[in-house]
Amino acid sequence: MSRWLTEGLLTHKPTTAYPARPESTAGISPGLPVPSSELTGQALEQLVSMCRVGALSKEKNTLGFDDGRCIHCMRCKGKSPKELEWDDSYEWARLTKLGEKNLAKLSASFKASLYIRTIDAGACAACLTEISLLAGPNYNMHRLGFFMTPTPRKADVLLVSGPVTDHMRDHLLEAYDSMPEPKRVIAVGACAMTGGVFGPSFTCAAGLSDMIPVDVVVPGCPPPPLALLHALLVLTGRKQQAEKIRALGSDRS
Amino acid sequence: MIVKEILIVFFALCAAGSVISLLTKKAHLVISIFGSLASVSLVATGILGLGLGKPLNWSQWSFPIFGQMHFHIDGITSILLLLTGVVALPVSIFSNGYLQRYLGKYSLRSFGVMYHLLLASIAAVFVTWDVMSFLVSWEAMSVLSYLCVNFEHRHEENTHAGLLMLVMGEVGTLAIAISMFILGSAGGGLDFESLRLGAQELGPGASWAVFLLSFFGFGVKAGIVPVNTWLPRAHPAAPANISALLSGVILNLGLYGIIRMNLDLAPVVSVNQGLVVVITGSITALVGILYATIDNDMKRMLAHSSIENIGIITAVFGAGLVFSASSDPTLAGLAFIAAFYHLINHSIYKALLFLGAGSVDARSGTRDMNRLGGLIKIMPWTSLMFLIGAMSIAALPPLNGFVSEWLALQTFLQSATLSSTSSTLVRVTFVLCGAALALTAALAVTCFVKAFAMSFLGKARSAQARSAKPAGGTTRLSMGILALTCIALGLLPTYVIPKLDESVNVPRQRHAVESLVPAFFRPQDANPIMDKAFVDEFHDLGAQVGKGLLPGRGLVVLHRGQARNPVVFAMSTSYTVIVLGLLLAMVFLLVHLFTRKRTQKTRAVWAGGLENLPPELTYTATGFSNPVRVVFNTVFRPQKTETRHQNVARHFRSAVSKQWEVVHLADRWVTGPIVHVLDKLAHLAASMHSGRINAYAAYMLMALVLVLLAGHLFT
Ligand code: SF4
Ligand code: SF4
Repeated sequence: MSRWLTEGLLTHKPTTAYPARPESTAGISPGLPVPSSELTGQALEQLVSMCRVGALSKEKNTLGFDDGRCIHCMRCKGKSPKELEWDDSYEWARLTKLGEKNLAKLSASFKASLYIRTIDAGACAACLTEISLLAGPNYNMHRLGFFMTPTPRKADVLLVSGPVTDHMRDHLLEAYDSMPEPKRVIAVGACAMTGGVFGPSFTCAAGLSDMIPVDVVVPGCPPPPLALLHALLVLTGRKQQAEKIRALGSDRS
Repeated sequence: MIVKEILIVFFALCAAGSVISLLTKKAHLVISIFGSLASVSLVATGILGLGLGKPLNWSQWSFPIFGQMHFHIDGITSILLLLTGVVALPVSIFSNGYLQRYLGKYSLRSFGVMYHLLLASIAAVFVTWDVMSFLVSWEAMSVLSYLCVNFEHRHEENTHAGLLMLVMGEVGTLAIAISMFILGSAGGGLDFESLRLGAQELGPGASWAVFLLSFFGFGVKAGIVPVNTWLPRAHPAAPANISALLSGVILNLGLYGIIRMNLDLAPVVSVNQGLVVVITGSITALVGILYATIDNDMKRMLAHSSIENIGIITAVFGAGLVFSASSDPTLAGLAFIAAFYHLINHSIYKALLFLGAGSVDARSGTRDMNRLGGLIKIMPWTSLMFLIGAMSIAALPPLNGFVSEWLALQTFLQSATLSSTSSTLVRVTFVLCGAALALTAALAVTCFVKAFAMSFLGKARSAQARSAKPAGGTTRLSMGILALTCIALGLLPTYVIPKLDESVNVPRQRHAVESLVPAFFRPQDANPIMDKAFVDEFHDLGAQVGKGLLPGRGLVVLHRGQARNPVVFAMSTSYTVIVLGLLLAMVFLLVHLFTRKRTQKTRAVWAGGLENLPPELTYTATGFSNPVRVVFNTVFRPQKTETRHQNVARHFRSAVSKQWEVVHLADRWVTGPIVHVLDKLAHLAASMHSGRINAYAAYMLMALVLVLLAGHLFT
């Protein structure tokens, strides 16, 4: 016992200053590309073909970018004919249309205290690792009034990662059904948004949106813990959502 | 003099019971009839004995070696006889249904004989008044209880447990006998009156010897740490009705011995002796409840909890001894009342809980709380009674355990403010022991929440628990009697305390009750010895309101009659019931009020995504008590072993089984080393037996030479 006490005292407070101040430690986020509208023609085609997951696309001769598919593999960074700019921030969470409507209805008592139930709907485990970091000392979501609960019966928010495999579909629906009103859903990661690198396929669906209503989406594969914190803050209206400019592709709602 | 006749009727009923059980096949029926009748006569003896006013002494029968037999009935005896009757009555009724499981397996005849004789020997221990007949009844009780505990003698662990009980009991008896003989030789006689005289002649060394020998000698029967290890082994071995008697009556015999010796015959005069009792009692209480909390065998858990309760009684009794040694009669009286109240309560609720555990065991076939669960749906009555017992023992108001534990803790807490004479040593000891007792009380709640919740609530965790059957009529009746007694003792402390005070406290401490249960609720009813100002002030405190609501007195108050701010503490279980009832009603009302507009939906239990919740995944008794196990790891020092099964190939584990064994503290530190030394000595002696004829011939020769030499030298 004495060791963690002294070590804790010596290392001070490791918790991030976010959301009061932005967190700037190097490598805190893998980042996402910022699509530029200047690319055309051959260069555009080349860049689009470089992205193996279909996050980049050609849309009316300009570059389309779907952050719901990007796995920040960085193939498009640096190697392209014209370098894509790279955004190292992490405030990626966006409200869906339903989310915006719901946010207006959210009563004040939920803003500072929220119970979260996580569901692994066939995730590769990277998303779950990031979620589990939220409860650690570095991100310490409890200080912001977010808590995990083991049962959907007490949960306000369902945090779903994974493309929803066929095996998990019923249980996901069951969990969502067991939650008391008002309830919110956050789709975590590329998989839950679009099926990511897995879906849709013969074993899994293409994310949550055609199964249960989603309020907030968090891009990333996996999204860093700060992006998840941002999602929770966006859900409760305590932070601005990410600008939609990035998603030149279809708006997922 | 009718007391004597009824007592003789009791012994006659016991004798008749044993003879008839010998003659019939239905000994269980005989027990339930003759045992109950005998118990009723015991109750009558107790009640009439309480009304006697002064002790009743008589002598009867003279035997060649033993001499005249003396008998004696006083307040303490009467209360204990009454208590024995109250416990033995439901136990006898319970036996009818319970014992039928042994039909055709074990001899119920012999059980019937032993049971009735055991009852008789227990009563004999209480009423005999000379060393010889006391020791004979004590031995009879020891041996008979051993035989009863060992009834299922075909299980090897039972015979081990019984043997341990017998051996430890005999060592205790030896210590008792020595202490009594020391007193007797100083007093010049073997009746208890001579012992009383002898106690005044003793020097400090001999007085300490008598005190230690009798305290720990009787302590073996009572189950005081470190001489308690037979208890948690004997209980699981014994049939449930014997367990109930063991905890409800036989442990009291040990306490009776301690009380008789150290309060009455050879009253403790030094504060330090009292402190020894306080400290031993507190340690016993804490150790008992710690082991109870982590134990998952229902009966073994109850046995450990008996040790805890005996510890509390002993500690409070010790506090009384300290107070009376430092001439503080009011506090001493308070402590003795608390100790006796707790003794009575413990007998009642422990008997109730053992009957409950027994009926669960009989109806489901297991006592392992990890494998039980969900019984409330199958055995609602047993569950309700068990709940009452558990709440009593966890000292929740308004049940009886609360009253006595509250008095006990108050005795410890208030000692500093009330007693002016105590030294620093006494104060520090009282603070520490009071804290230990408070921790004990808290752990007791944990322990019995676990016991009830894990056995009766939730889902059945085994096929046995699923296929349990509801308890029979006699079981329900017997448990009902005890449960009602629990409630009555909890709601009516103001009627019990004066009786206890009258019979327990020797006349010089008589006024404890006057300061504990005031006889006033209107100024004109005021006790004349009360200060007028106090009565008026107390009047303002709101006691008047209570009188209007309740049919009788309901308030237990300790006060200093003359002081300006006289009330030291006050408590009322009967008012608590009303307040609790109102609060509960209010909660329902408020919840209804606030949730009226909410919509409700019903969904199946969330099983973490599984089809349905397997009972194995629900909370188990081990899981529930694990925090205690972890926090007190230093006390338990468990032996952990892990076995890995590697069926497929090395490094491919197919199963891991973990064993977790706890050796009791007293076994580790006291009994274990003694056994170890004795073992060594036995081996040493055994090395003489080489098995060679020559060696034996040599031994004989040597013995012959020695005898001849000795003969030569001494003639
Ligand atoms: S970083 Fe994203 S957009 Fe760029 S190539 Fe990789 S997946 Fe495609
Ligand atoms: S989004 Fe990426 S990290 Fe998350 S589960 Fe899917 S593949 Fe794994």
